[in-house]
Amino acid sequence: MLLLTILLPLLGFALLGLFGKRMREPLPGVLASALVLASFLVGVGLLLSGGARYEVEWLPGIPFSLLLDNLSGFMLIVVTGVGFLIHVYAIGYMAGDPGYSRFFAYFNFFIAMMLTLVLADSYPVMFIGWEGVGLASFLLIGFWYKNAQYADSARKAFIVNRIGDLGFMLGMAILWALYGTLSISELREALEGPLKNPSLLALAGLLLFLGAVGKSAQVPLMVWLPDAMAGPTPVSALIHAATMVTAGVYLIARSSFLYANLPDVSYTIAVIGLITALYGALSAFGQNDIKRIVAYSTISQLGYMFLAAGVGAYWVALFHVFTHAFFKALLFLASGSVIHALGGEQDVRKMGGLWKHLPLTRWHGLIGALALGGLPLLSGFWSKDAILTATLTYPFGGLGFYLGALFVAVLTAMYAMRWFVLVFLGEERGHHHHPHEAPPVMLWPNHLLALGSVLAGYLALPYPLPNLLEPFLKPTLAEVEAHHLSLGAEWGLIALSGAVALLGLWLGYTFFQRKAFPSWYLTFEAWSRESFFADRVYNALIVNPLKALAEALFYGDGSLLRGYFGLGGTVRTLGQGIARLQTGYLRVYALLFVLGVLVLLGVMRW
Amino acid sequence: MTPWEALALLLLLFTGVLVVTLRNAIHAALALIGNFLILAGIYVALEARFLGFIQIIVYAGAIVVLFLFVIMLLYAAQGEVGFDPLVRSRPLAALLALGVALVLLSGLWGVNLAFTKDLQGGLPQALGPLLYGDWLFVLLAVGFLLMAATVVAVALVQPTRPLDALSPEERKEEKEVVR
Amino acid sequence: MSYLYASVLLFALGVYGVLTRRTAILVFLSIELMLNAANLSLVGFARALGLEGQVAALMVIAIAAAEVAVGLGLIVAIFRHRESTAVDDLSELRG
Repeated sequence: MLLLTILLPLLGFALLGLFGKRMREPLPGVLASALVLASFLVGVGLLLSGGARYEVEWLPGIPFSLLLDNLSGFMLIVVTGVGFLIHVYAIGYMAGDPGYSRFFAYFNFFIAMMLTLVLADSYPVMFIGWEGVGLASFLLIGFWYKNAQYADSARKAFIVNRIGDLGFMLGMAILWALYGTLSISELREALEGPLKNPSLLALAGLLLFLGAVGKSAQVPLMVWLPDAMAGPTPVSALIHAATMVTAGVYLIARSSFLYANLPDVSYTIAVIGLITALYGALSAFGQNDIKRIVAYSTISQLGYMFLAAGVGAYWVALFHVFTHAFFKALLFLASGSVIHALGGEQDVRKMGGLWKHLPLTRWHGLIGALALGGLPLLSGFWSKDAILTATLTYPFGGLGFYLGALFVAVLTAMYAMRWFVLVFLGEERGHHHHPHEAPPVMLWPNHLLALGSVLAGYLALPYPLPNLLEPFLKPTLAEVEAHHLSLGAEWGLIALSGAVALLGLWLGYTFFQRKAFPSWYLTFEAWSRESFFADRVYNALIVNPLKALAEALFYGDGSLLRGYFGLGGTVRTLGQGIARLQTGYLRVYALLFVLGVLVLLGVMRW
Repeated sequence: MTPWEALALLLLLFTGVLVVTLRNAIHAALALIGNFLILAGIYVALEARFLGFIQIIVYAGAIVVLFLFVIMLLYAAQGEVGFDPLVRSRPLAALLALGVALVLLSGLWGVNLAFTKDLQGGLPQALGPLLYGDWLFVLLAVGFLLMAATVVAVALVQPTRPLDALSPEERKEEKEVVR
Repeated sequence: MSYLYASVLLFALGVYGVLTRRTAILVFLSIELMLNAANLSLVGFARALGLEGQVAALMVIAIAAAEVAVGLGLIVAIFRHRESTAVDDLSELRG
């Protein structure tokens, strides 16, 4: 029964792949969405009945096992729920595209693989899902493969992911060598007592985290995410905002029993999370593509999630996954609606003044931006504040983390407003035919996502208000001692972060409506636009030397072949040279004969 | 070394030079005969009397005569015929010959043998037991070789008779079969 | 002993003759010279080592006779159809 949740979308992939071309629009989209909804209902049903397990013989020592507990159920709800909404949106967005059925086939495949990842009870099974979503990501980013640039972006994503996957595999290998099993439940029990080999385990933890770095676009493997915007907007929403990129956070949470025992590794995770959050926020200021702004925002928010996971607050990280899924998907889909309205325009410098023309999408955009920025009482506010509090209360945290996260919160609010202001407010900078609102099939998912962005935060309110999420997830995560702040301190911090958020939002709102910007900002913006030259640095240090090496090897290989051909030529020349000895004259032969005899005799004599 | 010996060796070498330098083939053959005769004398001096006689009878008397017959048969008396494409090979040939001589001489260097064996004059009485004793097989083999050589020599100089012997009609059939 | 040196010199003369002569018959003549030089050396060594040397020399003469018969037969066969006996004309086996 549990397997059904994975098999249904997989069935969709198969059917649409084989017969999709014969189906008329919008049947592929409807079929795909229905299957995802079915998966959602099955999963929720199983979760409410207390969870489920599935196990079958697979590799020697490694069974194919799936587990639906609170943690994986939580993720399943996010994946299939938000996935379903985005599927419905895509029915409208991809209308008219010649690859319509192929798109939904890939989309369903992605859902199937993501569910495999989430429901896995052993690392190899998770790895299958891990690789599967990487593949789906590649297929979907490069969906319009005829464009060379898009194809290159897809390849870039896959390759950078692969680097992380190597870490995942090596981490798995170490765990296998140490414990002889890769089943998560069994490993959890094995790590209850004193650790067997702390330094080796730390290495394993670090390597698994490397996998997460690749999949979730943390520094230094974040370069693929902005280029992944080459794919259609629903792809960006589902894969690169709500689900795939959070797979890394899920991995850390699932392996919390490991990381709770590794303080140094957890500290590293938190530091990288903070650096990534800062990098993403700073780079978002200079982007001119509407989707790239949101992409960098995703990088930044993922950094927040890893910060939370690093300090030991695994449920807080998952809480942010939850709220982020809503408001980020909303932002992406709203961007999609704007792009759709403007007939394909994606440059914000050519947008503006859409407030008047798009009565519903404007609210989607506003709610999404405010949630991202952390307007008090919206979902983003609650989850971000939970993270901020966690940096001070959880064992691996510290004041530095708190201040850094607070600073990034201000930046987040500012660039969120920048996005909103440039797209919807101000005067119309582009020359467009009359922008039309999106069709209902695209609006209704956004309505629901907007509702989620407002209400999702109420799942886990700070003490003493009801917190439903933490006890729900607690049995599945590691026990981490968190000391509690006094009530006054806690709510004081909440007020502070609220004030900071409001300040940021207001600053962003006013600053970006200016006509002219100060020169220091323009320099900063220029640096930010190039995302601080990360791509260029990688190209110079890694990509181009490797390319040169590959070319040299290829050339060497060719010249080796030519050398072999040349060997034949050399032998021929040599033969021709020797053949000239055969003049045909008897006397020449006699001379050579005597010469040979002389040589022989001489050798024999001495 | 007695003066006779010295003279004999000098003449030997002299006739040898004549053989390789004279232009006229008949003159060269005659020089070779002279060489063989002196050689026979040397054999006698070296207590190989039977061999000396055989040298004269077989070598000088049969072989060189055969040479002369062939020279006359083919009108090949002239030594230098036609255009010489390898004129510059002469110094090289001399060099190689010198090289051969040097290598062989170096083989003789330091050879200390006492040339005092009693050969009983090299007469048939002395050679007979050896020939029909240890060397019987060799003797018979050489006999066989001579017989084979005779057959070969006759076969080689046959004119192309078979086809000429056919009548014109038979010759046409032969040609068709061949095609 | 001096006979041995003489035989070496005679042999070298024969080699020179083989390499230099342009008529087949004269080449053959030089070969005969070489054979005789070998015979001389055989007989010379017989004086130190025993009668076997002379027996060998006898065999050489017999074989030389056979060889001359065959060789001259070859020369006749080859040069019967040509006008000259030039060795250099036989140059069809070139490389």
